[in-house]
Amino acid sequence: MSTMEPVRYVDLLNQRYQQQGFPPYEWTINTDTPLTAPTKPLSECRVSMLTSGGVSHCSMPAWDANARNDFRLDEVDPGAGADDFAVNDSYYDTTDASIDVNCVFPIDRLREQAAAGVIGSVAPRLWSGFMGRIYSRSKVVNESAPALFAELVADEVDLFLLVPA
Amino acid sequence: MGLVARVIEAAGIPTMLVSTGRDLTSQVLPPRSLFVNFPMGNPFGAPGQIDQQHRILRRALELTWEITEPGTIVDLDEEWPVPFADKVQKSLLAM
Repeated sequence: MSTMEPVRYVDLLNQRYQQQGFPPYEWTINTDTPLTAPTKPLSECRVSMLTSGGVSHCSMPAWDANARNDFRLDEVDPGAGADDFAVNDSYYDTTDASIDVNCVFPIDRLREQAAAGVIGSVAPRLWSGFMGRIYSRSKVVNESAPALFAELVADEVDLFLLVPA
Repeated sequence: MGLVARVIEAAGIPTMLVSTGRDLTSQVLPPRSLFVNFPMGNPFGAPGQIDQQHRILRRALELTWEITEPGTIVDLDEEWPVPFADKVQKSLLAM
């Protein structure tokens, strides 16, 4: 395990929101969570992935680096070249992700895992959205996330990887 | 994102979240998480470090089968080469 103390983001973000004059963010604190056991081995799983790191393919508009309550969700072609993305997010240092999108959205690596037979396949659509600072959590829980679930079912996804930023 | 993971998991698709914010993740409590104690822009490591990126991705994928207790956060056994807390603080609070 890493010996460095984890960064205390909750405190930092509270300070940031206050500096910006935003209303205090009401953090969701959960004490339990669901669990669905996988039903097939990894080598047979179709995997999809979601980033909230402000990652946009060059065919799409760039993300607003200061987005708030933005419910945009992009479909990403799993065959897209790693160099064909822009990264815009004011909440983290995007320098490395701009050089190599795989730092936050390992699209090349996922393809290589499929080619090597570690995973069954990469899903026909990957995803970029849910850029955070979403003050309407009921909309996420009741609308956006269930809508995304339906798309994952349509793509016959067996395992969904989420990478927040 | 943790909320999204919870909804999708509850609806029937296993999820795995790769986090760089341990406190944020433990509040929302996604079904399964891998905590990577790297800067927020580097959950899969440094640019061009293909082996490292594969290692972290592979660990995340495999953990889906290893985690049987809902809400488990596993700490990745890798160290970022330099301290980064001050830099993160500066970037978040720079106005």
